[in-house]
Amino acid sequence: MNEFIEQFILESRDLVEQATAALSILEKSPQDPEALDAVLRAFHTLKGGAGIVDFAAMERAVHAAEDALSHSRAADHAVTARVINDCLACLDQVVRWLDLMEQSGEVVADADAQADALIARLVHSVTNDRPLAPAIEKNASASWSNELLKRNPGMRQQAKTAVRFIPPADSFFRGEDPMALIAALPGLLMLEAEPVGEEWPTLDALDPFESILVLTALTGSTGPAVRAHLEGHAGECEVVALAAAGPQGSEQALTPTSRDVLKAQLVFLDSVESRTFIGRVASAGRVASNVLRYCGLGAQADLIAHATRQSLDDNSPRALREQIARALEAQAPLSAAPTSQAPSRPEALARTLRVDAERVDALIRLTGELTVVRNAIGHAVKLAQADTSSLAGTLKKHYGALDNITSELQSAVLGMRVLPLRTVLQRFPRMVREISADLAKPAKLLIEGDETEADKAIVEMLFEPLLHIVRNAMDHGIEDAAVRARKNKPAIATLRMRASRQGDRVLIEVDDDGNGVDIARVRQVALEGGIATVESLDAMSEAEIVDLVFAPGFSTAASVTELSGRGVGMDAVRTAVGRVGGRVSMESRYGQGTTVRFTLPFSVMMSHVMTVEAGGQMFGIPLDAVVESIRVPIESIACIGAAQAIVHRNHTLPVFELARVLRVREEARDQEDAAMIIATFGGQLGGIRVDRIGEPMEVMLRPLDGLLSGIPGLAGTTILGDGRVLLVLDLDGVIQ
Amino acid sequence: MTVAVSANGTIELTGACPVEDAEALLQCLLTTPAGAVDWSACESAHTAVIQVLLVAKAAPVGAPVSGFLRDIVAPLLQRRS
Repeated sequence: MNEFIEQFILESRDLVEQATAALSILEKSPQDPEALDAVLRAFHTLKGGAGIVDFAAMERAVHAAEDALSHSRAADHAVTARVINDCLACLDQVVRWLDLMEQSGEVVADADAQADALIARLVHSVTNDRPLAPAIEKNASASWSNELLKRNPGMRQQAKTAVRFIPPADSFFRGEDPMALIAALPGLLMLEAEPVGEEWPTLDALDPFESILVLTALTGSTGPAVRAHLEGHAGECEVVALAAAGPQGSEQALTPTSRDVLKAQLVFLDSVESRTFIGRVASAGRVASNVLRYCGLGAQADLIAHATRQSLDDNSPRALREQIARALEAQAPLSAAPTSQAPSRPEALARTLRVDAERVDALIRLTGELTVVRNAIGHAVKLAQADTSSLAGTLKKHYGALDNITSELQSAVLGMRVLPLRTVLQRFPRMVREISADLAKPAKLLIEGDETEADKAIVEMLFEPLLHIVRNAMDHGIEDAAVRARKNKPAIATLRMRASRQGDRVLIEVDDDGNGVDIARVRQVALEGGIATVESLDAMSEAEIVDLVFAPGFSTAASVTELSGRGVGMDAVRTAVGRVGGRVSMESRYGQGTTVRFTLPFSVMMSHVMTVEAGGQMFGIPLDAVVESIRVPIESIACIGAAQAIVHRNHTLPVFELARVLRVREEARDQEDAAMIIATFGGQLGGIRVDRIGEPMEVMLRPLDGLLSGIPGLAGTTILGDGRVLLVLDLDGVIQ
Repeated sequence: MTVAVSANGTIELTGACPVEDAEALLQCLLTTPAGAVDWSACESAHTAVIQVLLVAKAAPVGAPVSGFLRDIVAPLLQRRS
């Protein structure tokens, strides 16, 4: 990848983060001048960067956002929620572009349509409070330009850009001459003028000093040139890049699958009956326009949308049928070569890391100290050659120093992989707002402890699981407004995300003040889904029943909603969290709310393990699963059928023989006592019988790769001091 | 004065017609609704002036000096009238 682009992506991601953070402050206090300055600065720098790498579409989009914000500042009124939303949407788009650039290593070539849609949206937000225009339709940048081309078919070959310019009514007073601006457009081909209102006024009703014109023009110049010319009128102009006509446009052709989908809509429309007419036409229209939009044929999609409306008005599917047929004709199929599936985005973590300079300095200092110790050991070697009497003492001293520095070095290196949780948590206020709007359940989100740090890998994997929990809380946990009112709960529900560091673990709690988990319902669903039997349910505590929501295939949602439910979620959350060595549990207070607790390792690299021996081999058990290690007399282990159990601290615990479970050779034992680790696995306590219990140790866990990666029950490996490989077990996997 | 009514009742636009000419042109057109507009000597016209022509559905006669008026605005007025 080009070095400039690499740098650009890095910096832009940072800026997007800064802008998002500042926008969320603005959201709470729209008058905050510092937050507004921070957003403007971030957008401005983003724009500059886009200019440097020649990414015109992004430059324009970001410029429009900057304009919208400056407009608020100039007009000296609070930034509206709408502008904030549009700016956030702009940042989202920027992130999508950056992702694409990261994959391809190049500037996104076909981003103009997306930029135009954003600009139209931003322009609309700004002009919203002064309705000059006959409402610039949402997302309709293309429909007027299509009409314009249709009226002027002769221009189709030359025209590259369409411009719509709606001068403010008072522009003549302000000394502006809109047509002079149009006249100077590069490559101007033609101009049309329409009145702002429905009809032209009569001559005697005309105020000659008020502009009533909507000017539309076609030019033979490219979008960037035209936009550059119209700079300063961003709020009044729309510029649309026109798709090249004829065969040049074939890179935007329909894929074979899209063609099939469109053809299927034609068949679907053939069997329309009056009873199903509205539904069928609307749905076929929506599918067809989505397909076209997906293929980058926004203009065609707009035509389909138009035809759908007409069909609905005419009460006949004809208009829509014809338009779909035209779209199929207009877009020749791609050559037989398979439309190479864009390489699916690897879930691999980003390859670059921005590191605080202080952390690098610490590392440099440590390498210096390490050199000193190396030299000291070199000295000890010389001493050893001469005389051995003082060697042991000297070596011991240097070993101590080396040990200290290695640990420090290790934590400094790990520190470089650390990110504050803010990077993921700050995305949620907006998610909650959107979900809240979708579900019409007013809710606010409080975030605490977002400065808590964790390994980059942990922080980055958290988004999906957290999002799932938040959706579940909003969808199933939090009650409808009416129910909340009946229960005397505040109308606005509260979601809380709390992060904190607990030793070498990171704790994240998500709680809501909704209805909690409906135990009876969980029981019923677990029974129906065959997840548990009546007997096992009867033996379960409430907490254990709540835990069933993490069972694969579990869903209590009465209706499967778009947002959450289908039962593929909570077990996926547990799996994802488990993969990085974390745990997730749920606590419910019926009628009062639910808390979901994530316990995650601070670092995926370092872990504390307890070593044990079974079948003559050494294994590591993650220390955070270990509750205690005990020795019990053999006779206290009761055999119940094929299973074993012990009574420990008044609880009956199942006992597993590690050697047997792992199918390693069992050693004949003639001890009177059994060594046992009491640990939590699968959400329960249990005993693991081993031959010998070793020591707890801190190890650098190597993730499993290659053939090992598929083995369940194995969390990773590490090398012991004597060179042996230690297999570190994942107890949940082992016992299952 | 860049807007003037000639002896035969034709409204003539000459030179550069600034924004103020819109008012004058509007008055002329109101008083002589059927009056022809001759812009062959017009070098440029402010949007406000063209807007009056558009509202009046007037198709000026003659080919003005300005390429923009001749090639771009004239067809626009032609379509409207």
